[in-house]
Amino acid sequence: MTETSIPQTAQHPVRDRMLWPAIGVVCLATIALALGPDWASLPARIVLFLAGVALAAQLLKGRSRQFFNGPMAYAATGSLVLLVILALFANEISPQNPYDLRQLDIMDGRLPPGATNFDGSFTYHLGTDEQGRDILSGILYGLRVSLSVAIVATLIAMAIGVVVGIYAAWAGGRIESILMRLVDLQLSFPSILVALMLMAAFGRGLDKVVIALIIVQWAYYARTVRGTALSETRKEYIDAARGLGLPVRKIIFRHLLPNCIPPLLVISTVQIANTIVLESSLSFLGVGVPVTQPSLGLLIANGYDYMLSGQYWMSMYPGVALLAIVASINLVGDRLRDTLNPRLRK
Amino acid sequence: MNLRYLRLTALAVATALPALPAVAQDLRIGLASEPSSADPHFHNLGPNNQLRRNIFQSLVGTDEQQKLLPELAVSWKPLDDTRWEFKLREGVTFSDGSAFDAYDVVYSVCRIPGVPDSPSLFTTYTKAVTGFEVPDPMTLIVETAAPYPLLPTEFSTWGIISAKANGVDGASIEFSADGCGDLAYPETQAFNDGSAAIGTGPFLLESFRRGEGIELVRNPNYWGDPAPWERVSMKPLTSDGPRVAALFAGDVDFIENPPLQDLERINSEGGLKVVQGISNRVIYLHMDHAQEPSPMITGTDGKNPLKDARVREALSIAINRDAIVDRIMGGVAVAAGELLPAGMFGAHEEGQMPPAPYDPDRAKALLAEAGYPNGFGITIGTPNDRYINDAQVAQAVAQMWARIGVETGIDAVTASTFFSRRNAFEFSVYLAGWGAGTGEMSSPIKALVATRDGDRGYGGTNRGQYSNPEVDDLLTKALATVDDDARQELLRESSRVAMADWAILPLHFEVTPWAMTDKVSYVPRVDQYTLPALITPAN
Repeated sequence: MTETSIPQTAQHPVRDRMLWPAIGVVCLATIALALGPDWASLPARIVLFLAGVALAAQLLKGRSRQFFNGPMAYAATGSLVLLVILALFANEISPQNPYDLRQLDIMDGRLPPGATNFDGSFTYHLGTDEQGRDILSGILYGLRVSLSVAIVATLIAMAIGVVVGIYAAWAGGRIESILMRLVDLQLSFPSILVALMLMAAFGRGLDKVVIALIIVQWAYYARTVRGTALSETRKEYIDAARGLGLPVRKIIFRHLLPNCIPPLLVISTVQIANTIVLESSLSFLGVGVPVTQPSLGLLIANGYDYMLSGQYWMSMYPGVALLAIVASINLVGDRLRDTLNPRLRK
Repeated sequence: MNLRYLRLTALAVATALPALPAVAQDLRIGLASEPSSADPHFHNLGPNNQLRRNIFQSLVGTDEQQKLLPELAVSWKPLDDTRWEFKLREGVTFSDGSAFDAYDVVYSVCRIPGVPDSPSLFTTYTKAVTGFEVPDPMTLIVETAAPYPLLPTEFSTWGIISAKANGVDGASIEFSADGCGDLAYPETQAFNDGSAAIGTGPFLLESFRRGEGIELVRNPNYWGDPAPWERVSMKPLTSDGPRVAALFAGDVDFIENPPLQDLERINSEGGLKVVQGISNRVIYLHMDHAQEPSPMITGTDGKNPLKDARVREALSIAINRDAIVDRIMGGVAVAAGELLPAGMFGAHEEGQMPPAPYDPDRAKALLAEAGYPNGFGITIGTPNDRYINDAQVAQAVAQMWARIGVETGIDAVTASTFFSRRNAFEFSVYLAGWGAGTGEMSSPIKALVATRDGDRGYGGTNRGQYSNPEVDDLLTKALATVDDDARQELLRESSRVAMADWAILPLHFEVTPWAMTDKVSYVPRVDQYTLPALITPAN
């Protein structure tokens, strides 16, 4: 059997093209982590944004017509991009830094939307909460906390899941059964419950929320990757690669991994939305982010006590923002699934 | 066919309902904070003491102004400088049928110091006792080492359990201040599951389930006027919104601590009303005076800035207490300058101890003088479901401290977690409240400011480990002075000394509101307790 007799590229469903987006995702995550909780560096955020755009372009290369198949796709993508820009550039856009306690004034607490402070120099377009925190600024910063926590947690969980899943699929036998039973065990607990217990043990803090979210999520990816990897390893192109005597490392990284990524991207988009909801729930229940650095869930919880007193704005606007981000991520995720999944492709 | 049957049933139920008087005898209460146990001696904490008063009673009771009343003792008097005589009430029985006598009091005092895992013991209120004499079962003579004017007051703060019900022959107890020998005591768990919940109070404990609720039923053999309610269910609704919503929806008849922002709306709603009154509870910040480095302070190279009185003063005058009262407490609180409201025993007269003046510029200057011109970082520990708007108050303080350059974070956790972490000295500054159990100044001074000393029962809640021999001496002297005027002056002086050293930063006194349907009424209590036996059906 000669090398030319195997039409390798023809058998390869995705080819190496998916490897670059994967590397891009990892780079993005690294930048996001390096930015830290303050997100102070504007150049780093611009790089992050451009890299994100480039990644999206790479993903949709040659598929954009398929992706934008109707007005809903445009609307969802538009609103997602808008919300991401708002979150990413909250430092520049928002009128107040809600995390800087010096900028808050409790004398301005619980003002209705459109009210101004005592000398009229500052207008609270969406009102204030009981600490005098501008709700608009709180939403922008909260959006960023919610998004970044969810994305970072999802990416790390995905990385762990990929390693475990591929290892299990490749190794097989006892290792596979042990790892997969572990996954089953993890998935049999409701994630909010596990996250609550972990947070109760860890205490509050952004990093701790991320760790808790990773722990409750990695199993989804491990199971998916293992399934995909199992079916892929039986395909001819892997046999061919083996037959060529390629080293295992090369088979896994150059051939198997890229083909496992599309289904992962699809679950991860939906999972990001779930993670945002999970983080918000934790914060709403008072075990998530610190009270001085509210995320959307905590903003909603802060205003919740005032709902009955008619001071609706403290909970309602953050709630609307949460709804908007989760809905647009889900819709974009749906489109991505239809576009990237080879089986659904007509 | 089915539909007709349903209609008939509905009709039958509707006509039968008014004929059920039992419905009117049930009272449902929404609690703002939950007791940590049903054990009367486990945890000296407001919600626990409140629950205790329904089931277990004291020799001495208190009215809504915290004046002393006869309860299980009908009278008391000092025999000489170091002995008090209590005449006990005849014909009182515990809920298991055993008769109440003086040995039950001795047995209870024996148990108090040894409750395992107690987060906060009642020994503060029993340490003074050095001996008992029981000339006859209905007379109890209490001995103290020194003159002890507060004894009757302190005997109103802890509940009495039955010796016989726990298999102890009262007459055989040999009391000594160091312990009573090898006596059998019920475990805390036995109170929680109800098996040891044998008291003399107006109610019996039917069930106690953490997080779910407490069920009380009327004690049919109660010695006093029977409670107006056949059954009382107390449900912990620790979030403000759901608690007030439950009242609006008619799920409960009575709630504690309705959120301040809702008082107006409750009053304007037909069928609901609010009653409110000032409390003896001070909300304060306690600072770590001992640990170095202190666990939650950053940017000081391991030094503890709170050891410097200038820093403590700066932190105090950086707080705009009037703004907190006005904006966070909705005006329903009183800014505090010491640990007990003006006019109560041992507190100063109105205006003599005003709240620390708000002066951020001077605060900055003081910080610079103390060597922290750029401030430092600190985290305030606070419960978020224990006191009225507790976490919000802490956030407001954080805001004000941030303005003078002290980078302040908030660690807000649920009350049970907060108290266990506080007791492990995990906080550098914490927000908490103290209700003066005895209604006079020695209570907060002894518990919060006096040097921690287990033998004397001093500093039990002084988790900042403040220590000042001058305060201790004044307190010790006051506690041995029977003359009321002289004692009052000593207590005032101890308060002045502690406040001048910024030992602790009082923020405000809570004004306690209760909300209820207009079918019931309640007289506001200084001690903030919600006592179902005193909630009366309004006719």
